[in-house]
Amino acid sequence: MDLRVIFDTKHRAYWNMGFDESLLAHLDEIGPTLRLYAWEPPAVSIGYFQSMEEEVNVDKAKELGVDLIRRITGGGAVYHKYELTYSIVLPAFKGRILDSYRVLDMAIIKALKKLGLEAEHHGINDVIVNGKKISGNAQTRKYGGLLQHGTLLIDVNVEEMFEILRVPEEKLKDKMIDDVKHRVTSLKSEGVDVEFEELQKLMAEGFHEALNANIYEEDVPQKIYDYAHSLEVNKYATHEWNFRR
Amino acid sequence: MQPTSGISEGKFDYKAGKLIKVRAVFEGDKIKEIKITGDFFLHPEEKIEEIEASLRGKRINEIEETLRESMGGAEYAGISPEDLTYAIREAWKRRK
Repeated sequence: MDLRVIFDTKHRAYWNMGFDESLLAHLDEIGPTLRLYAWEPPAVSIGYFQSMEEEVNVDKAKELGVDLIRRITGGGAVYHKYELTYSIVLPAFKGRILDSYRVLDMAIIKALKKLGLEAEHHGINDVIVNGKKISGNAQTRKYGGLLQHGTLLIDVNVEEMFEILRVPEEKLKDKMIDDVKHRVTSLKSEGVDVEFEELQKLMAEGFHEALNANIYEEDVPQKIYDYAHSLEVNKYATHEWNFRR
Repeated sequence: MQPTSGISEGKFDYKAGKLIKVRAVFEGDKIKEIKITGDFFLHPEEKIEEIEASLRGKRINEIEETLRESMGGAEYAGISPEDLTYAIREAWKRRK
C-alpha cells in the first residue's frame, strides 16, 4: 500500500476538522493519506455524542481564547495544545471497528519505541506508557472509508486543562486533577525532549512500519482544500454543529 | 413522592465502559423527550438520533425491547442496549 503523508503545521480547530473530513470524503481520489498537524490557537474538541455545555466551561474558553469544536468521531473531550495530532484516511478494514484501533495504534507504539518508550494499546482506544495514557484515538467510517485521528501528548498541564473542562462536582475538582495526573503522561513527563518536526517524521515511520506502507510526500489537489474550507465555514465553525447536543 | 402522572424530569450519569449521560422528560410513564450524551463510541454515529427518536413515546417497560431493535446493526463500545436501558431506568427512578 502507498501512503501519502502531509507534514502539516498548526491550524485553527475548524480548519483541522474540515480538512480531516475532506480527506476522508476524497479518499477514492487521493488514496490512503496521513496528516500530521497541531492546533493554533489551542482548542477543546469534544466527541460526537458529547454535550458542549456539559463538558466545557464555555465562557472560560472564550476568555482564554480557546476554540471549541465537535468532532465527527466519538470519544471524549480533548484539550489540544502541547501535542502532535495525526489523522489517517484508509479504505475501511474488514471486520470490527474496535479491532482496527489496535492495528492503527501500533503506529503510535512503534513511533514511541523509536523514542525509547515502551508503549501498549489499552482499553478501547488508548495508548499507554508506564501505565499512563499518552495517546487517545477515535475513528469513524464514512464515504466508504475510515478516518482515525488521535493525539500524542508532548507535554501536559492538567491544571490548565481543568480551567476549561467541566468536572461533575466542583468540590471534587482538586481530587480529579490529582487523579488525572496519575493517569495521564506526556513525552516530556517521560523524559523525552523532541522537536515537533522530528516527531512528525517518527510518526510517519511508525505508520510505514505498522501498515507496511510505502510513504510518499505529495500535496493534495486544490479541490480537497476547497471542500475543507467549505466544511470549515459551513459546519465546523458553526454554533449549530458545535452545540447541537 | 415521585409523580405517577404529569410531566417529570430525570437524569442519570452511568459509568459503563465509558460515561453515558441520560437527560429525560417523562409524561406519566412515557418518555416525552430524551438526550443521550457521553464519550462512548457508536457506529454509524448518526444512529444516536434514531435511537433517541425510537425512545420517544415509549413506556418505561418498553425501552429494553425498543433499544435492542434500534441499536441492532450498529457497532458500539462503552455503551450497549443493556447499559442504556439501565441508565434510563435510573433516570426514571430519580425523576422529579
